[in-house]
Amino acid sequence: MSGNTHDVMVIGAGFAGMAAALFAARAGLSVAQSGVTGGIDFSTGFIDLMGVHPVAEGIRWDDPWAAVEAVSKDCPKHPYARMIRPDMEAAIGGFTDFLASQGLDYTGHADRNCRALTPVGTVKRTWRVPRTAWKGVLALESAAPTLIVDFHGLKGFSGNQLVEMRKETWPGLRTARVTFPRGSGELYPEHMAWALADPKYREKLAEAVAPHLGDAEYLGFPAVLGLIDPGRVVDHLEELTGRQVFEIPTIPPSIAGPRLRGAFDRGLPGLGVRTLSQATVTEAETVEDGFRFVVGRGGGRTEVRAKAAILATGRFFGKGLIADRHAIREAVFDLPVVQPKTREQWHNKEFFHTDGHAANASGLEVDDRFRPLGRDGRPAHKRLFAAGAILAHQDWMRMKCGAGLAITSAWRAVQGLMQGVD
Amino acid sequence: MKTMETRVLILGGGATGTGLARDLALRGVDCLLAERRDINAGASGGNHGLLHSGARYVASDAAAAVECREEGELLKRLAPQCIEDTGGLFVAVEGDDEDYIANFESMCAASAVPTRPLDLAEARHLEPALSDRLIAAYAAEDASVDPFMLSLDNLAQAVDKGARYLRNAKLAGFERDNGRIRRSIFLDQTSGERFEVEAEIVVNATGAWAGMVAALAGAHIDILYSSGSLLVTQDRLTTRVVNRLRRAADSDILVPGGTVSVLGTTSVTIDSPDLCRPTVAEADAIIDDARAMIPVLETTRYIRAYAGVRPLVLVAGAGDARSVSRNFSLIDHEKDHVDNFVTITGGKLTTYRLMAERTGDLVCAKLGVDAPCITRTEPLPASTKGEWTEPGLGPRRWIGERDGDDIILCECEMVSRKAVNQIIDGMDGQYGSSLLNSIGLRSRVGKGPCQGGFCGLRVTGHLYDEGYVSGLRGVHEMHAFTRRRWRGLRPVLWGLPLVQADLQEALYCGALDLELEADVRDDGGDL
Amino acid sequence: MDFLDIGLIFAAAVCAVFLTRRVTRWRTCPDGGSPFRKQGTAKAFLSVIKAIVPEILLLRRAARTGPLRWLAHCLVFYGFMGLLLFHAMASLVTVNLFSGYEPTLNPWQFLRDLLGGLVLIGLALMVARRVRDRRLRVLSRFQDWALLFVVGGIVGSGFLLEASKIISPAMFDSMVAEYGVYGGGPETTALKAAWADRFGVVFPSDRLVTPQRVERGLEINDESCTACHSDTASAFISKPLASALTPLAPAMNRSRADRVFWYAHILFCLVGLAALPYAKFLHPLTTPANLAARAGRRDLGRPGGAAARGLGMDACTRCGECSLHCSVAPSFAVLGNPDILPSEKLASLTAFRDGRLSGLGLERFAEGSRICTECLRCTDICPAGINLQDLWLASKPEAAASVPDPNQAVRAMTVAARSAICCRIEPEGLADRRESFWACVQCTTCTSVCPVVAVSDDPSRDLDLLPQQIMNLLRMGLKDEALGVRMVWSCTTCYKCQEHCPQDIRVADVLYELRNTAAARLRQAEGEEG
Repeated sequence: MSGNTHDVMVIGAGFAGMAAALFAARAGLSVAQSGVTGGIDFSTGFIDLMGVHPVAEGIRWDDPWAAVEAVSKDCPKHPYARMIRPDMEAAIGGFTDFLASQGLDYTGHADRNCRALTPVGTVKRTWRVPRTAWKGVLALESAAPTLIVDFHGLKGFSGNQLVEMRKETWPGLRTARVTFPRGSGELYPEHMAWALADPKYREKLAEAVAPHLGDAEYLGFPAVLGLIDPGRVVDHLEELTGRQVFEIPTIPPSIAGPRLRGAFDRGLPGLGVRTLSQATVTEAETVEDGFRFVVGRGGGRTEVRAKAAILATGRFFGKGLIADRHAIREAVFDLPVVQPKTREQWHNKEFFHTDGHAANASGLEVDDRFRPLGRDGRPAHKRLFAAGAILAHQDWMRMKCGAGLAITSAWRAVQGLMQGVD
Repeated sequence: MKTMETRVLILGGGATGTGLARDLALRGVDCLLAERRDINAGASGGNHGLLHSGARYVASDAAAAVECREEGELLKRLAPQCIEDTGGLFVAVEGDDEDYIANFESMCAASAVPTRPLDLAEARHLEPALSDRLIAAYAAEDASVDPFMLSLDNLAQAVDKGARYLRNAKLAGFERDNGRIRRSIFLDQTSGERFEVEAEIVVNATGAWAGMVAALAGAHIDILYSSGSLLVTQDRLTTRVVNRLRRAADSDILVPGGTVSVLGTTSVTIDSPDLCRPTVAEADAIIDDARAMIPVLETTRYIRAYAGVRPLVLVAGAGDARSVSRNFSLIDHEKDHVDNFVTITGGKLTTYRLMAERTGDLVCAKLGVDAPCITRTEPLPASTKGEWTEPGLGPRRWIGERDGDDIILCECEMVSRKAVNQIIDGMDGQYGSSLLNSIGLRSRVGKGPCQGGFCGLRVTGHLYDEGYVSGLRGVHEMHAFTRRRWRGLRPVLWGLPLVQADLQEALYCGALDLELEADVRDDGGDL
Repeated sequence: MDFLDIGLIFAAAVCAVFLTRRVTRWRTCPDGGSPFRKQGTAKAFLSVIKAIVPEILLLRRAARTGPLRWLAHCLVFYGFMGLLLFHAMASLVTVNLFSGYEPTLNPWQFLRDLLGGLVLIGLALMVARRVRDRRLRVLSRFQDWALLFVVGGIVGSGFLLEASKIISPAMFDSMVAEYGVYGGGPETTALKAAWADRFGVVFPSDRLVTPQRVERGLEINDESCTACHSDTASAFISKPLASALTPLAPAMNRSRADRVFWYAHILFCLVGLAALPYAKFLHPLTTPANLAARAGRRDLGRPGGAAARGLGMDACTRCGECSLHCSVAPSFAVLGNPDILPSEKLASLTAFRDGRLSGLGLERFAEGSRICTECLRCTDICPAGINLQDLWLASKPEAAASVPDPNQAVRAMTVAARSAICCRIEPEGLADRRESFWACVQCTTCTSVCPVVAVSDDPSRDLDLLPQQIMNLLRMGLKDEALGVRMVWSCTTCYKCQEHCPQDIRVADVLYELRNTAAARLRQAEGEEG
């Protein structure tokens, strides 16, 4: 390694960026990574692989691999069409193994999607869920007697709503609202999670819940059960209540994101990744033999040189794509963006229109090695790769393939990169 | 079928209808107001919220200019809670018609509309957002008005004085007999039940829908529907109303509305008032035009767009002596052989009181009631039903009077759980087909930068907790609410609003599967 | 009794006295109860045993602070421990374990250089790390450099001692005198020639070496010397060092440099021993002890006992990781009080417990304690496994009792009173510019990560408005309302909100500005009244 030059710079700290940094570091590359809090902080913590196809018909799949196959066939430009299953399995397995090593265990069915409750009472199909949510999958799938606990002061999480939404198919679902043992007034999940790191508050919480338990076999909480070792908090609550305990995600700001980010913050430096966290790339240029980036602003500016780069900056919320009134642009390198012709076509007239919105399938066209194409249709740079939501021809939000696509495309981008590093 | 009786049935709960209800109630005349959807669902809720000084009309319609001046002065005095007396500017920039500028002062003088020339430096000092390519500037006495608070306060006093009102009451038809309307048949859109109202006189105050309603009574009014779109900026860009100093045209007024500014408008002819939507093209046209006057309009963050329909009455009750102005049309349908049917339509928000007064005079004459209109002197009391439409009230109440266990449901505008409960209480049990939309209309919920993305979820949860909704109903309401917000959001989806919308899509669809689970059917409501 | 014995006794006595003082000082820590209260002794003991391999032998927590630091620690730890056991304590350990032990025989001669070399590489990495990282360089104190210097001195002087022995004819003579039977004849000359030629001894005569003599000398060497002296080449560091010193050899030999270096080596060792209880010198003992006591736990758990807290305080390696990760580090940049940073505050806490803190030092310590947000980051990262969070929780009230919060009066005012004073026009700042808030997507992350909100029992009662709510107030142009809000005065400017904002909104900067604005208006108002 010559001075400050890294093998690869990963731009982005969402699922795709984290996965790319992880895979690249494991491949023995020297990695630098930048990126601020983004989409990952607004995730449910679930790892979706593939849930809906075709979007317009709203058909939901229990077997995600069959769905991947179907979408690869029907939409040959979908990034999944450029992948093979063993790679995808290895990618997601590698990702969840890493999380497990950092105290965040993931689990799921061997061959089918799990069904998991969302905080608004809908049921979502997803591939892997945090271990702390797993019992909820079992409870839902067996419609067992279950008590949902919510808290005075925690807004946006209503046990009543969950019960009302599901009462037709899950008559044994009940709810109770209790006072959180630490603090009153408005509550925020992260603060609650901090409090529950202390066993004393878990004991008090169990005491508050005890009178409501009744015949419930399962006990569901909003996801506030610990920040660093949620598995331990869940185990302790199971011990205290004698019930199977699970978590249901909350609407943002949830702690799923901070948990994931924390795991990477703890784990990536140990793998030798140089993380320039909470800083964005403010300048980027290609130089001889690679790239030169400036990360951060003002006094915190850092210059980073890298032989290769992986663009995992996401779509609009991730700031990978930027739109003015006339066009959508790529933010770092101004790469050409696949997009509808006019703004009139960006979005459908109905938010919930079954077709979704065309702007949400815009993004970068890539080659088989996941290198974004330039205006001439050839790779924009021989060692520039892209992964995650910024890829075109996929609407992860409607197809339910967000985290899965991010992780697998990161794997493929790193693979593509390894082919190119002599 | 349930039958209700009243002396006067008012159709339409916009500014005119609610104003008329108050006018009649103050005269001691029993009246019932029936509204198809909700208060200000039509043009009364789809305008600038501008209390005209009259200066805008000095060239095109001197009579309207005089009316606006007089009514504006009255309202500032009588309904101060609804009005922010911002003052206004008329400004011209390079390229604007210099003849018009040259004649402006004398035209204003002719209509007795007070204006004062400003030197350009002074104008830019008053409003730093103005272009540096200014060529003329005048001060005028424009103000901004909160049309929702205005209608809610009018209705509140009317109800206080004995008037009744019904929401979600869709007029299904009239039963006529001997040139009179005997009964008006309604469909209660909440319960799906029909009911009828027997009234001595029926007043058609349905604005752009007046032609359709009149047709049901066998009368004919020729109306051209002109849709006008407006844009709301996240910030209040100016302290005063800013008008373009030119012959009235599109995109030439920026009105501060509490903490935001409203920019518009356009003028697009449409086939039916139900098709009124703001469009992407209109949003672009508005900005392309108006940025010459206020350059920051090109870069500022927009929150949403909305649109309203102006009913342009083509043949304004020809030969009707009581039609006092080309501005609004008061039509006695005796001429159409429906003796107890009156239509009031057209006009401006600024002159709503006058429209109500003239209509009230006609109604009383027909009823033989000899009670004078007192709205010219009687102040409009502020009500608790209308107060939450005021921007900035949320944070002030939260800091000053927070209850121990209260929480904030709408973060953008700081609307608390307690406020939401108060708003629901103020609906007198008429929750309609979408309680969530009704809360939004009566408060700042859904009006901030998140456009309901977060507060929609939180308030829905709250409605479930309080037992207002059950089963899948709450999520259906949320769909209706989201659809309604989206209509205004779509035209401004670039830059930051697009980032916000991307987050909402990720949350609603990516995380919560809301597009799949709940029934996505249209509820027919156009609120 | 020679110099070594006297020195050793003296150093050991100093060490013992101060070590006792240090351990007894642990009692001054407030007792929060035993961390093992609920577990039972047997279970606790088991968890300690389980922690030993990963935590102590594999230095697992050091690995979390980066591969380089972990490597450096492993090198120094294993190198120095090896030298200590088989070399320094040879008469106690090695001799008893290996009957034929001779320091001049292999593998010992080789091993000594190998382990010494590892230590030197490790030390070099540590020095490089401290010099290269600007923030760490600023944090480094005398004790950090002193420990590196003493350990480096021990190993360095050892190598010099060995090298000077290799070149020393006097050393050769004394060995021949001790073991030899060739009383100064041609055999001795031949042996000298062989040692000069092959093993690096530098004799004054330059005509000593001839091929015949060397050949004969090697035979003699094989017969008489190899049994207890290996080829000096296996001292693979000292031998090249000796070769490098050859030009200086005559002078060194004349002045018996080997003796000088012996004294130096012994002195360094004795200093090291005597200084062991001094600050960072103790960490090779206390850190493993603390790691074992903490048994791999990183959560807050329950309040620690006095001994656990005392041990924690003494386990600090001053690696500076906590300060690099401290969430209020930006406040340090602004206020310049080093006690805002955990590593520095811990040093002050030790002084505070000793009753050595007064005046400015005490004020700084109190301010640092006040600004701490108890965010747990320092505890989470500490490679020594110190439960810093627990230490701060215990010391905060004491610090507050010693030095009351100067802003107490402001904090105690009502919102209305503060607002009333603050409602005057100010020149435009960040808080006045609407663009500052354009990008907000209302996600409430700023509030969610705020440690001030987190520690409040009822945030909206204690703080009036939360960070995101203040941003919204300002977005709506209601700045005067925002100035009177308690949150503005309670903000520790830890910058977590700003760091975590997905939309790059300068939340902390705005809060900081509001406080400054409000304080300026307050002063102005007081001035006008007075």
